[in-house]
Amino acid sequence: MNWQNVKLIFLREVRDQLRDRRTLFMIAVLPLLLYPAMGIGMLQMTLLFTEQPRTVVILGEKHLPPPQLLDGDKFVSNWFLNPTDTDKLKVITDTSVELGGGGLNASRNLRLIEQARALRERVDQHTSLSTELKQAEVQQREHLMNPAASFDESLAALQVRMGRLKARQAVIDHELMELFASSQIQVLIVIPDGLKENIERVNRLIVERDNSQVEGFTYPRPTIVKNRADDKSVVAYARVREVLDAWEDEILRQRLSAAELPEELTRPVGSAPLDLAAEEQISANVWSKMFPALLVIMAVTGAFYPAVDVAAGEKERGTMETLLICPATRTEIVLGKFFTVMGFSMSTALLNLLSIGTTGQYMLSVAGGAGKGALAQAGAVTLPTAPALAWLLILLIPLSAFFSAMCLALATFARSSKEGQYYLTPLLMVSIGLTVFCLSPAVEIYPVHQASWFYSVMPVVNIALLLKALLLNPGNTGALIFAGPVLATSIGYSLLALWWAIEQFSSEGVLFRDGERFEPALWFKHLLRDKEPTPNFTEAGFCFVLIMLAQFVSMKALGQSIASVSADQMGTQMLKLMVIQQLAIIACPALFMALILTTSVRQTLRLYLPDWKFLAVAAVLPFLLHPLSLELMASLSWFFPQLPEGAVRLLKTMGEGEQPFWLLLIAFAAAPAICEELAFRGFVLTGFCRNGRTRLAIALSALTFGVMHMIPQQVFNATLLGIVLGLIALRSNSLLPGVLFHFLFNSLAILRERASVQLANGHAEEFQHSIWSSFAILEAGGLRYTWLTLVISGVAASACLWWVWQAGRVKAKSETVEGLFPSGLVPVKEQHPTCVS
Amino acid sequence: MISVQHLTKGFDDLRRGWVAALDHVSFEVRPGEIFGLLGPNGAGKTTCLRILSTVLRPSSGTATVSGFDVVTHPTEVRKRIGFMSNNTGIYDRMTAWEMAEYYGRLYGLSEDVLKLRLEQLFDTLQMNDFRDTLGAKMSTGMKQKASIARAIVHDPPVIIFDEPTCGLDVLVARKVLAIVQSLKDQGKCIIFSTHIMREVEKLCDRIAIIHKGTILAMGTLPELQEQYHQPDTEELFFDLIERHDEQCRTTQSEFRLANS
Repeated sequence: MNWQNVKLIFLREVRDQLRDRRTLFMIAVLPLLLYPAMGIGMLQMTLLFTEQPRTVVILGEKHLPPPQLLDGDKFVSNWFLNPTDTDKLKVITDTSVELGGGGLNASRNLRLIEQARALRERVDQHTSLSTELKQAEVQQREHLMNPAASFDESLAALQVRMGRLKARQAVIDHELMELFASSQIQVLIVIPDGLKENIERVNRLIVERDNSQVEGFTYPRPTIVKNRADDKSVVAYARVREVLDAWEDEILRQRLSAAELPEELTRPVGSAPLDLAAEEQISANVWSKMFPALLVIMAVTGAFYPAVDVAAGEKERGTMETLLICPATRTEIVLGKFFTVMGFSMSTALLNLLSIGTTGQYMLSVAGGAGKGALAQAGAVTLPTAPALAWLLILLIPLSAFFSAMCLALATFARSSKEGQYYLTPLLMVSIGLTVFCLSPAVEIYPVHQASWFYSVMPVVNIALLLKALLLNPGNTGALIFAGPVLATSIGYSLLALWWAIEQFSSEGVLFRDGERFEPALWFKHLLRDKEPTPNFTEAGFCFVLIMLAQFVSMKALGQSIASVSADQMGTQMLKLMVIQQLAIIACPALFMALILTTSVRQTLRLYLPDWKFLAVAAVLPFLLHPLSLELMASLSWFFPQLPEGAVRLLKTMGEGEQPFWLLLIAFAAAPAICEELAFRGFVLTGFCRNGRTRLAIALSALTFGVMHMIPQQVFNATLLGIVLGLIALRSNSLLPGVLFHFLFNSLAILRERASVQLANGHAEEFQHSIWSSFAILEAGGLRYTWLTLVISGVAASACLWWVWQAGRVKAKSETVEGLFPSGLVPVKEQHPTCVS
Repeated sequence: MISVQHLTKGFDDLRRGWVAALDHVSFEVRPGEIFGLLGPNGAGKTTCLRILSTVLRPSSGTATVSGFDVVTHPTEVRKRIGFMSNNTGIYDRMTAWEMAEYYGRLYGLSEDVLKLRLEQLFDTLQMNDFRDTLGAKMSTGMKQKASIARAIVHDPPVIIFDEPTCGLDVLVARKVLAIVQSLKDQGKCIIFSTHIMREVEKLCDRIAIIHKGTILAMGTLPELQEQYHQPDTEELFFDLIERHDEQCRTTQSEFRLANS
């Protein structure tokens, strides 16, 4: 690696970018001008924007009890928490309109009152119907409780009447809704006749301490009509509610004082909140919500345009080949470009954050100066503290690195800038999706209730969540524990992405993709005509995607068919479905694709008889790996999120004696062993092997095998197993040892569950004294293996795996392409040997 | 200097399936010689030269430049060749001087040597009046000169020109050919690919006529004229290509007959 070249390329690319108006616009003009401009625009909007007063109509104003509720066409401002709010409601009453008030708006007010009266009619009908219905319901209950007694109406007649009442009420409610929606009224308050007198009467009765009279005295209450589906109505109602509550409190106070009762009567508990948030914590909260999301989005957009320009743009402008013929290696070129993209990504993110932060703060302080409610409180927002900003900078580095490498790889694949933008848009969408996920208050790097480190290894999410926690409190030790893993995994992901970018840049197919028009029919013909014995890389990848899609699509159908059977049959049904799922979703795509896309199904799916030694190893290895894998998963349980409910249920099925053992074996061991091996060690692995890079092929096939299992625990476990299975399949060039291994391994898991349950049911004592107790002990969670077992199986398993690794190597040497074609001439067709190393 | 043995390169083509763009091509080029690669469009000239410039990897066969294999020592090869083709454009946002300077540095020239070399190049190529012009603002002729300056800034022993006069007017093309000639006089080993007969007649010491990935004939022009009894180069070229196509057709029909 010549760092001088990397530096040269980096400097040239940076200068090139800075001479490009588009990039300059993105990184400098946008943050420095756009946000202040937006700020000015928003301030202007707030100045111009005055909230339109909402219309409240009160019918029966003359029946309102004291104290005074209305002041002309407004509520008395005392009843509001914030007295200026009174301007936001315009009150029209029937009394004022009858007196000819309203001035210029007299005709409008008159119309409103007419609408209100029409509404009132329906409201009254609704109320009387409700009363009637309630009476009928009481009667019905009496009928049912006491069938022997005689009533003035039969039960059937009563029910018919109730049905009719309900129907009428529904008609009236519908009319009400339509009338209210077409009116210009946001809230209608109907004050029933005699409310004032009735309240006074109750007051008098309380003064006289005539409790029995008070108890039995009912009178019509006011109705407030609103529409919850209409935002204007909701806002107006909230204000009206505030006024009426305050007003009612005052009426109550007067009632109590008239009756010489203490005010304390109404507040037996009287709890008061205590808000501990200090000023800077409120700001920290604002920043911790805003900055991680902004940082991610800005880092990806900042990488987006330079990446397209330095990779796809280079192809488009015809300078790619000029660069490739310079003495710098591909790695050096990619690194130079990568650092350029990363630099722009970081500076875009930082400049944008700085600009948004300062503009936002300035705007809030301006708005706060005006002293308006919630805005005035937010005006105290200060910029994050120095440690928080330091964390922001540190975490930005891996984040930008990851996005830059990803963008670079994708943009390299594109033929033109336009195409590059198409490829990068999904990346942008996914990043935005992830940030929205991180914004949710429930998602934390440091979950309180459920010990899990899982989020700390998820790309992008881990950084956003850690930053969220650290911006809230930079000294948060709970979150700081995660800094190590977050940084380590993020750097790991960045390196992987960078490796991918270098791969892309080293591939002839990617660099010299011809501009041939894509014609599906032609492509399909080509696929069927130019078949080769084994699938290629793309076809293998597509097979995996197909399996994943089929799994996704079948999820709903499977859930429904499980839900449709009764509880006692559910276990059997689940097992049957598992077998069907394995056959239809995993084995079928692989078989189908092998039949259609290759000329040799046998070679593709490795349907050969293996050397007996491989079969022997495949028969022994599961017994050695089973304890190791079990203990590994147990010791890593803190890392993963809890198992979903469905998986727990499935695991339970394995241990319970309800299902026949043979069915369990078929569903959990035989079906997966055959189907998954066909797909992942057959089609997928063979396809991935085509370009001759066997280690990469094993890793990729193991990873796809893992990802197919969906649940994080299983993904991890299956990926590890996938490596072993892939190695065995490659070295033996047969599917059979893998099937055997897979079957035995899964069977052992079932056996262990079974044995645990059975031993726990009465044989525990016996087991503890047997010779087996030195290999395994019985715990609450089932059988656990002892250190002795682990050491023995560890050593033996390593020996077996070493043998498999070696066995293949010796074999590979004698069968390399050079060996087959001693002259050094390989026929064109054979340039992709099928996994020989 | 350049030795190509049984070079073969295949592509997967959507329409035709697996296609050999180069089929067992072998030739050698010595220092102080201009080797002409003559062939119609799509003959495999560019593929062959791309393999020599290490940008493409051969499917089989070997190629060495100054004794270095293009597959095993690509960096060494790239240091020793100057390569110019239609596909090696110049940067829009760099001036002629910056471009040549940048490549000089990539080739590892020290600053003093580079300065001298650039001044000398800009003088001989008569590029001083546009040394500070951005690539986007240059005319086609200027671009071609800048491209040549870029290709030979490190004074390589081997220079490859892939259709260097394509799209140029007569005046500029003449200048380019003069430059190639002067490079030959300096003892460089030059490959010159073209589909224009006149250029071959004027410049090349030896030529290879390439068509559909195979070399149909190779030798000096007089040798070829004598061998095929055709004094006119253009006629010679057409004859060879037509004869080859005819041959292909008969083989194909024989093949079909044998199968049916």
